Amino acid sequence: MNGLGLHQRLERNAGLLIFGILFVSAIGGLVQVLPSIFQESLSQPAANTRPYGALELVGRDIYIREGCGTCHSQQVRPLLAEVKRYGPYSRAGESVYDRPFLWGSKRTGPDLHRIGGRYTDTWHRVHLLDPRSVVNNSIMPAYPWLAERAANADGDIQLRLKVLRRLGHPYTDADIESAPAKLEGLTEIDAVIAYLQQLGAGLGAEQ
Amino acid sequence: MADMPTDFWAGWIAVITVVSLAGLGWLIFSIYFSAESADEHGDGPVWDETLREGSNPAPLWWFWMILALLVISVVYLMLYPGLGSYSGALRWSQGGRFDANVAAYETEFGGIRELVAGAQLETLRGNPALMKSAQSIFARQCAVCHGYEAEGQANLFPNLMDAHWQWGGEPGQVEQSIRAGRTGIMVGWSAVLGDAGVEQMTQYVKTLAAQPDTAPPLQYTQFCSACHGPDGAGNPVLGAPSLVSGVYLYGGSDAAIKHTIALGRTGEMPGFENRLDDTQIKLLVALLTGNGTE
Repeated sequence: MNGLGLHQRLERNAGLLIFGILFVSAIGGLVQVLPSIFQESLSQPAANTRPYGALELVGRDIYIREGCGTCHSQQVRPLLAEVKRYGPYSRAGESVYDRPFLWGSKRTGPDLHRIGGRYTDTWHRVHLLDPRSVVNNSIMPAYPWLAERAANADGDIQLRLKVLRRLGHPYTDADIESAPAKLEGLTEIDAVIAYLQQLGAGLGAEQ
Repeated sequence: MADMPTDFWAGWIAVITVVSLAGLGWLIFSIYFSAESADEHGDGPVWDETLREGSNPAPLWWFWMILALLVISVVYLMLYPGLGSYSGALRWSQGGRFDANVAAYETEFGGIRELVAGAQLETLRGNPALMKSAQSIFARQCAVCHGYEAEGQANLFPNLMDAHWQWGGEPGQVEQSIRAGRTGIMVGWSAVLGDAGVEQMTQYVKTLAAQPDTAPPLQYTQFCSACHGPDGAGNPVLGAPSLVSGVYLYGGSDAAIKHTIALGRTGEMPGFENRLDDTQIKLLVALLTGNGTE
């Protein structure tokens, strides 16, 4: 048997050809993906990482809805200049509760992975409602409607938490039970600020 | 890779990689240098009298291209991490490169750090290169709230260029503000003073700025003087601003002052101890105290 013979045999047997294609396509996944499923540093939360609270989760969903990731990455790369500018570089274990992760690759605005605690809630509020009032050359759009909609406008926070629990996030029954109460009286802008303020979790990313 | 789940998976990766490379090598050699005639048509179907399916290999430069890629792959896997837990002859790693860059950075700037640590603020202010660095640090870390010219913004974030310092303008006080942050809280007085009281106090605060020696109303002495001082000079320890300076962080209009008195204000500056090192903090103190007091 040589390469030509193999080729002729595969070409004349559709079942064998299908199997051969699947086998060859799978090699990359078998080497790259399969072992990483069992890799602890990818599947275990980092020391500074915990599941999102109800308000933070709503904020995260709004962050996705408003397309913040289009202009802001959440991934500090292990390069000196980035670490000096943003803080410790991002670890895989910091994203285990991100479904989907929001690393991004486009930075029209700055990276946000270490934004938590850098500015005050007041600053975020002013900045989201009118970016130019604090950064006069900013090109970020204003998001005034965030202050108008209730954080629990969709009313499905318990469902969201249940879905995540099914995916393995450790929410207790009490967490789910109390979730609507935690959103009571708050608006979407409060949720986004709560989400932003926990990003990078106080730089405690050293492992 | 540093953290293979187990030796089994390291071996798994190495074996599949080596077998794949060897298999690909065998495939191209046997196709291009087969004993059979490459153009043998075998016993396949014939169309239109003479049309048959052939098995010519692709042009020869494909062979050389694939061979070159194979060689590059093998060399790469020998030099760099990739083959299971083998870390490569060069011992290269992303984390290692980062650590080396940090070490080089520390070496490069170690001298300057020592110079800054030992110098008087006055000396630092006289060094244009260092002040340029200080301005860069300010632009990155402080300007988003305080403004690129440190002029204050949005009636929320104070001006750092003037001589008025809510928490004190001495270098030690400014350093403390940068390191640990500040939280200034004024409670709302509408319930205590009532609408008329708020109005009266607003007028008094405005008068104070123009004529500092105006006699205070009783309510000022009762409720306000504990923080703002009997003469309205303020108290940097509490972050209670001076009422005679004419500087109003939250705005000096009647409406703004009334709002402040009636509903209170909360001002917060985060601490930057974890984001800035001692050298950066000292440079900022030199920059800021040089501006406001001279």
